Amino acid sequence: MNALMKVLERALALAFIFAVCLNFTNVIGRYVVGRSIAGADEIQIYIMVAMAFLGAGLVAWRRNHLRMDILVRFFPQPTQKALRALEIGLVVLLAGFTLMQSARYAWQMAELGRASDMGSIPMWIPHGVVAVGFALILASVLRK
Amino acid sequence: MSFALGVLPVALLLLGFPIYIVLLAAVTVALVFFMNVPFAALHQNLFGAIDAFALLAVPFFIYAGELMGRGSVASRIVDLVQAGIGRLPGSLGVTTVGTSAIFGAISGASAATVATVGKAMLPAMRRANYPEPFAAGLITAVGAIDIIIPPSIPMIVYGMAAQESVPRLYAAGVLPGLLIAGMLAAYVVWYSKKHGFESGTPFSAAVFFRSMYRGIWALGAPLIILGGIYGGVFSPTEAAAVACVYAALVTWLVFRELGWREVVEAAATTVLFTGQVLIIVACAGVFAWLLTVNQVPAAMVAWLESMNISNWELLLAINVVLLAVGCFLDPLSSILLLTPLLIPMVKAAGIDTVHFGVVVAVNLAIGLFHPPFGINIFVAQSTLKLKLEVIYRGIVPFIFIYLAALMLITYVPEISLAGVKLFLRI
Repeated sequence: MNALMKVLERALALAFIFAVCLNFTNVIGRYVVGRSIAGADEIQIYIMVAMAFLGAGLVAWRRNHLRMDILVRFFPQPTQKALRALEIGLVVLLAGFTLMQSARYAWQMAELGRASDMGSIPMWIPHGVVAVGFALILASVLRK
Repeated sequence: MSFALGVLPVALLLLGFPIYIVLLAAVTVALVFFMNVPFAALHQNLFGAIDAFALLAVPFFIYAGELMGRGSVASRIVDLVQAGIGRLPGSLGVTTVGTSAIFGAISGASAATVATVGKAMLPAMRRANYPEPFAAGLITAVGAIDIIIPPSIPMIVYGMAAQESVPRLYAAGVLPGLLIAGMLAAYVVWYSKKHGFESGTPFSAAVFFRSMYRGIWALGAPLIILGGIYGGVFSPTEAAAVACVYAALVTWLVFRELGWREVVEAAATTVLFTGQVLIIVACAGVFAWLLTVNQVPAAMVAWLESMNISNWELLLAINVVLLAVGCFLDPLSSILLLTPLLIPMVKAAGIDTVHFGVVVAVNLAIGLFHPPFGINIFVAQSTLKLKLEVIYRGIVPFIFIYLAALMLITYVPEISLAGVKLFLRI
């Protein structure tokens, strides 16, 4: 699983560099040849969507999500352990529920054959990324 | 419903649960147990909150800062500022302030500035016999300017949450940022005179131009960002992308300090930061939608009107709340949690939301270095190997300087709005 997460991190990093280059190319294109790449904005946004949700999975794997844990540090060890167990249960429930809703939505997009306006990107892909992100969060919490 | 939108999130937040889980729990409980809305609304709002071109500026600016921070940019700016200051009491301290302000105009990430500028300036201040608490306090506090001076990441997030223009917010942040830098520099000069610190070397045009030659590439980033936005050449998102390409080219090809591997590593760091922050943005988007459809902001405005309090009292109360929250929570989470609740009240009171954005940024900047839990304190402790008690002792005068600046910025809106008139000519 560690190797998979590393590969995903690198893939997202390369996709992000691609998004930067795409944006830059569009700026240059607008001023030099008076044209920009159709659908470039959509591609960049969907890369950011992937970074947000798949990245959240990577952060969950590293147990690095932002939290306010100042008070908890002063709790006795058994209380901290109980809270950690409660957190795992809650994350499993919530990530599972959101995964179901997002997967259903992405499935509907695929069935309807919906595509983005400018780039004709099949919409089940960016919507499916949300589901995969929550699946990663779920897997990370269960695995850890 | 008040359990789902009030009691539950506050309880989970205090119990140390991840912030996105706090928000997700609140919205899921509200949707499942208290509302008659299709569950698909959860996914639609999660996706919709991120589906915004303007939000791309957040990872782009982080990436530009990451690239610039990995090379010798900080030391080049230090040399340039020091050469420009010349003979002045506390020249090293003033250089720290100036370098942080310029570095903030490149990166917009406060912790990075504390670490990068601190590594360059702390040894020099130690050699010049600056008291350790003073040097530690200055380095820890001065980095907080970065979330006020453009390009500020919290201001992009505030702009999204408050539906306010990012270029206007950036323009509004310039003068308050410079005001705080000026006040910090004035204190450093006064303190240095009092304690008889050496005044540095006299100004030399030759040294200055040599430093300018070395640092000119580093200064190009803020010029591109601000010049591009206010010259009408780029949108803030495009300016951020151009800054990334510029930073990569300068550190890779001009300074020859980074290779392809470091460029990808910086991108991977940005991916992790984006995963940390944008999942909260997504969940906060659903939470804000729930607050709106349940008319919570409208109820708060009605309550406020019934209280009949003046604008200065409202701003004072909000400042106290933001300072308290900022001491425990990072700026982005604070903005995402509080802005949907505060903006309707602020609008109802007739307060300019651009001015208010700067007030929010200054409050949360103080939270970044306020004891006991300001994040910059721990950054300084870990990266500069400073003792916690030394930082705590040194930080106190700087908290008072920021509070004085906060009062000025809160109650003299012209300090913020003059920048909007100046840069946007409106």
